[in-house]
Order: sequence, then C-alpha cells, then structure tokens
Amino acid sequence: MSRFALEGVHVLDFAWVGVGPITTKYFADNGADVIRVESATRPDVLRIGPPWKDAMPGINRSQFFASFNTSKKGITLDLSKPKARELAKRMVPWADIVVESFTPKAMRNWGLDYENLRAIRADLIMLSTCMQGQTGPNALYPGFGTLMAALSGFYYISGYGPGSCTPPYGAYTDFIAPRFSTCALLAALDYRRRTGQGQYIDMSQYEAAMQNLAPALIDYFATGRVLGPRGNASARYAPHGAYRCADEDGNERWIAIAVAGDDQWRAMLTALAADSTDRRFANQPARIENAAAIDEFVGSLTRIHNAQELTAKLQAAGVAAYPVENCVDIHQDDNLEAFGFWHWLEHKEMGPSPYEGLEHRMSRTPGTLRSAAPILGQDNDEVFREMLSLSADEIEQLKKENVIF
Amino acid sequence: MPSELLKGLRLLDLTDEKGALCGKMFADLGAEVIKVEPPDGCSTRRIPPYLEDIADPDHCLYSIAYHAGKKSVTANLATDDGRAIVADLAAQSDFLVESHPLGYLDSIGLGYDALAKKNPRLIYASITPFGDSGPGKDYNWADIITWAAGGMMYLMGEEGKPPLQMSLPQAGLHAGGEAAVAMMLAHYPRQIDGLGQRIVVNMQACIVWTLMNEQAMPFLHGSYLSRTGVFFGSADARRKIVYQCKDGHISIMIAGGMTFGNSTRALIEWMRENGFGSDWMRTKDWISWVPGVFMDLTEQDHKEIEELEATIQRFMLAMTKHEIYAQGLQRRIFLAPCATVADIAADEQLKARDFWTAVPHDTIGRTLTFPGPFAKLTATPIGSTARAPRIGEHSDEIYRGLLGLAPERLNKLRAAGSI
Repeated sequence: MSRFALEGVHVLDFAWVGVGPITTKYFADNGADVIRVESATRPDVLRIGPPWKDAMPGINRSQFFASFNTSKKGITLDLSKPKARELAKRMVPWADIVVESFTPKAMRNWGLDYENLRAIRADLIMLSTCMQGQTGPNALYPGFGTLMAALSGFYYISGYGPGSCTPPYGAYTDFIAPRFSTCALLAALDYRRRTGQGQYIDMSQYEAAMQNLAPALIDYFATGRVLGPRGNASARYAPHGAYRCADEDGNERWIAIAVAGDDQWRAMLTALAADSTDRRFANQPARIENAAAIDEFVGSLTRIHNAQELTAKLQAAGVAAYPVENCVDIHQDDNLEAFGFWHWLEHKEMGPSPYEGLEHRMSRTPGTLRSAAPILGQDNDEVFREMLSLSADEIEQLKKENVIF
Repeated sequence: MPSELLKGLRLLDLTDEKGALCGKMFADLGAEVIKVEPPDGCSTRRIPPYLEDIADPDHCLYSIAYHAGKKSVTANLATDDGRAIVADLAAQSDFLVESHPLGYLDSIGLGYDALAKKNPRLIYASITPFGDSGPGKDYNWADIITWAAGGMMYLMGEEGKPPLQMSLPQAGLHAGGEAAVAMMLAHYPRQIDGLGQRIVVNMQACIVWTLMNEQAMPFLHGSYLSRTGVFFGSADARRKIVYQCKDGHISIMIAGGMTFGNSTRALIEWMRENGFGSDWMRTKDWISWVPGVFMDLTEQDHKEIEELEATIQRFMLAMTKHEIYAQGLQRRIFLAPCATVADIAADEQLKARDFWTAVPHDTIGRTLTFPGPFAKLTATPIGSTARAPRIGEHSDEIYRGLLGLAPERLNKLRAAGSI
C-alpha cells in the first residue's frame, strides 16, 4: 500500500495566485508529484504578498505564497520564449493533470491550451480556472478573490443592516472554489481510469462561489426577495451574536453565543447568574422578534466575564458558545492543538514559519505538509536533468538565454 | 440525466447543516446520493427562510438548494430495525458522510469500525465542529460558533461594534466541501487496493483556512489585524476597499507595482476625463509606487492615499454599480460591484455561459432557477437536474430495490415507526 493517497499522480502546475495553487496543494500534500512552473519576469503576485518573514518583502519571503505551495517542486521557465514553451511541452507526457489559472488568452497565446496539449498526451486531464470562466463577454476580467467576493455577493450580505458593507477578510472566494476544482479533478481521474478518456475542465471561480449562495439565489429568482446585511440577527436563534466580555491585557474580548430554545435560554441565564422577567424574552419567537433588545441585555451580562471561562460554563450548560478568536488566539486554541493543526516548516530562505495544516485527517493514507514551499527555481536542476534528461551544459546554456529563469 | 463522471458510486448522507453540501457535490458529479433522515425529516428541512414564507419542508430554501439531486429514505435510528436497515445500506455503499454528535453513531452500531467489518471498501467521513479529541469535541454548535472559533468573525465588522457573521451562514458549507474533497482523495487509493478508511473533518480548521494567512502575522510581523470596516491592511497602512456609489457599494483595489499599477493609472485617467483628480496623480509613476497595506508608510504616502481615496469616493457617488463595473471591465481596472443577488441574476456573463438551470419542482407546482454546475467538463457535464426529494420519497424504491425487502416487511417496519 502506498503511503499517501495520491502517490504516483503527476501534476504539471502553471497556476498562480490563489485558487489554482490551493487546488494543486491538495494533490501535493497527499503525495502527488506537483511541479510548479513559474516565471521570474511575471512572478506569482503572492511571492511578493504579505505577510513576509521579519516583515521584510522579498521574492522568497512570503508566507502568503508559502502557505499555498507546500509539498511542491518549483521550476522556472520564461514562457514568452519559444524554447521555454518547448520544454514545457516536453513535460506533458509525464503529466496526468495540467492546471493553469491565467486569464484565458495566456495559454492559447503560448500554444499551451488543451487542444495543443492533448495532441501530446491524448488522455490528459486539464483544469483551467480563472475569475469568470473561459467563455463569455467578461472572460478576460482580471481580478482577485477579494474582488470576486464582492462580485459574487458576499460583501453585500456582510454588514450591520441596510447601507452597511463590512466585507469578509481577504480573498474569501479563493477558499471556496478550490474544493470544487479538486473534486472535479479527482472525479475526472476516476473517470479516466474507468474509460481511458481525459477531458478539459473550465472552472469559473464566480460560478463555484455561487454554490455557497444558492438558497438566496433560488429565493430571488422565485420571489424577488433580496438577502441583505442584517448584523448577526437570525431567524432561528436568539440571542445570536458576539457579546463583549471583560478586556484582557487592554484588548477587547468577545464571545459568540447562539441560543436555540427555552431550555438553552434558561441554562444561559443560570450560567450568567442572571434572571429575566422581561416579557419580550418570554419565548423563542418573542426573543427572535426582539433581537436588538436581547443583544443589549446579554451584552450587559457578559461584560464582566472572561470569554474563555464563560465558554466553558455555557457549553457545560448545553449552550453553544465560543470566544471570538483573533490570530494570536487560534495559535493557542486547545482544539486546534489537539487536532494537530499547526505546522512549523523549515523554508530555505524564511527558516521556520507557521503553516496551516490540513482541515481533515485520514486514518489510512493521511496527507501532510511534506515540505515548505519551493524558493524560486529551487528544483530546476533536478527536474530538467532527471525528467527531460538535459545535461548540465544544456541547462547552463538555457539559463544564460533566460529560458530557464 | 445524472453525470457520467461518478456513475455507479453510492453515497449515504447522514449529515445535517454541517455537511449537506458534500452530498450535493457528489450528486452533481453523478453519484447516487441517498439521504437518510428521521421519519419526521432532517433538521435541515426546517431552516428558515422558506419560499414565500410557507413554513413547510417543501418550501425550505436550504433543503431545496442543498438536497437537490439526492434521494431520501427515512430510518428511525432509535429503533433496532432502523439501525439495521442503515447498516445494510452502508454495506452496499461506497461513501458515508455524517455529522452527528461525536460517538453517537458508534454507540448504535453505525460507527466506522462496525460498518467497515462488513464493507471494508467504505469511506466514512465524520464532520466535527472541533475535531475528535480536544476539550471542545462534544461542544454545542451553531454556525456562528465556528465563524468565531475560526477567526473570521473577529475580522468582520467595524471598530466599536460587534464582530459579524454573514447573513447566510457559511461554516457548514466549507466543512461539507472539505468532506467531499477528503472522500475523493481517499477514493483514489481504494481503486488500487479496494480499501476504504475513516476521515475526520474539522470545521474550525476550515474557517481558519479562509483567513488568507493572516494567521502568520503575529509571528512574522509582530502584529495582527482587527475589524477595519471598509478598509484592508494594518492599522497604519490601511487602504479603503469599499466605496459608496449611487445605488450601493463598489470594491476597488488601489496599489502600485507591476500587477496593480496599470489598473490604478487607468482609474486615474478615467477620473481625469471626468474632471476629477489632481495633477500629481496623473504624473506619478504608479508602476514603481510601492506602499503596501502592511508596510510602514511615510507622511507623504499617507497624504497621497488619503487624497486619492477621497477623490475616488467623490467620483463614484454619481454612478451606479452597473455603470462603474462596465467601465472597469473596459478599462481593465481592478474593481467589482458589491453585488446583490438581483445584480448576480442579471449578470450578462453568467447568462452568456448559460449558467442558470431550471429545475422543475412538482412538489410545489413551480420551476425554480438554480445556480448551474460548479465547473464545465467536456466529456462528462455535471450539475443538478433533479429537485430535492420529499422526506422518505425513495424509501420504497431503495428498501425494495436495493435491500430486497418484501412489501409486507416494509409495512411492518412502517407500522413500528422504524422507517
């Protein structure tokens, strides 16, 4: 039995930024050989994106890039040069899967589109993922996940009420789309095993993101109702929100609480050593109706409590609660710790730095972060020598010509 | 027609809202997905809002969206017969995904170990809010709890106001998607050696992963972010990313460098054509302009950013989201409307790609419009074409066809409340 789930699977990875590299990271962390083809003339923008080691920018100092590119090998080719494209094509027979995430015209212009590559390997599986898909009037839209999160509706449903817009952090949809592309690729691998047939996958990150908004879209088409920002108000839970706790070391602390019914409401009051005869809070429909008042009431009760201690107390009483954690807290979180979530990997230039681990665990073929992300061109010599049988002199010459770059 | 992609594979779906998307993805990919629910229906059948506010399971939007393409059987897990039937189904299934409280299915003989004895091929995924071994493994859960535990809530909202969740809860969707990935990963080695395995999905970890490496800030930069409303970046270098316009909001990325400099220049040129902006904005070399949102900025940087943002804000106020987006596309400026579902429904790109899918719902006598497939595949198109099942709609078909139960036996089980 192989040690990793995808041992023996070969992925040639032309992707950059978020969704493409996160997709191939699933493969790499699970034992597939993933070779990332990068260019020094147009480096992955994440290579210069923060956070950086010691807060100092540098092409090999970005944790943003490092986190999305664990367990991969890295080579450099300047694909604007014909010789580089020839080298890339010579790697295609090796590849079960090719992934790319440029705006649609790039691979076509280089002659590296699916039609050209399948002529080299007939059963190739190729994924193209870009913002809005390979076809349609806006196919060339040049964007990032932060903008896609706005375009696909997530900014609008984030706010305190009508007119308020306080977006989720970062490139939210970059963390939705890769699960869809990865499943499509793995399913296509299985289909190829059964039928011998490869295929081309066109994934629009816009269309993938829509899956996380489906109920609101179906509702709108049917009834015209537009889901809007509404703070933390819920039609199921009350109280439901974040409530201020006692400050710690001068920092404000909050606790999230969700109460589903009368039993939990009473349990919460007991845990907070409080009582209420307020008729607005007499039953669950009344509490949902009076969410603003209940938020004020609960907030006044939690203010003196330590968020962690109150969490333990409420949970023991059967009430859903957890501290609202910041980025220091999540590294000290007992539950993430018990799951073995955090990894410190040794990177060639950054030294040790913290990486997110996998979000699941497998009993028999567990994946893991096999290595830190490659520095630019880290595996050039090995890959070009071993896979393409280039001699040291040939490699040296190609470097001089900035083909390998 | 279901997709050919995963044809012949069967998944048992014992999840609630912590994982319903998983089975939906498998159904989209062409697997046979059997949702196993209690005789009075799974809790996901009663999640508001409802279509036309009609509070019955057939009008529950969550169920309509995330059970589409599945089959439904009922089984009462409180009875021995109900459990035995689910065990029999699992013996003939390729995948099982569940999100019950930790240990519950083990306690009634439906845990991985028991089921794998009869069916070693089975891939069995448990979706957990906090993993299976930490102090929170048995914690009570609601979606907002994971949003808080995963660090995203802390970063959403405005200073001085409470941290926020989105109006459509997301944590369960991330966990469902992750379960689908993990099970497909485990499927690959099974095709080689015929053996399944157990998977534990950690929902809290799924939300931490959405933080875009903000987790590393305390270690690498010695600081961490807090809620910054419509801004992005560290407190002393933050950049406005949301601007008001005539009919809502627009998101714009302003930066220099090779990637963003041309976009910033194009925006400034567009403003100039309309009489907005100062001379320095037009003469500045935006390609070599470096101030980032996590760097120390000079007085001059601050002044320039402030003036630029104020100018952009004034310029945007006179135009609609649609007008701004059209210009942004034409001029290749990094911007996007903060779209409502109405904007999305009207979007030309999605229409041109024939994205929207009509799904007839005889249950409520109307045809509903669904988001289409999450990807376009040349050999084996995917996507949902069947409505969500009614509670227990396929009990007869599955129990008679797959398990070979006689009608008399089914009637007895029904009378006893087992199915």
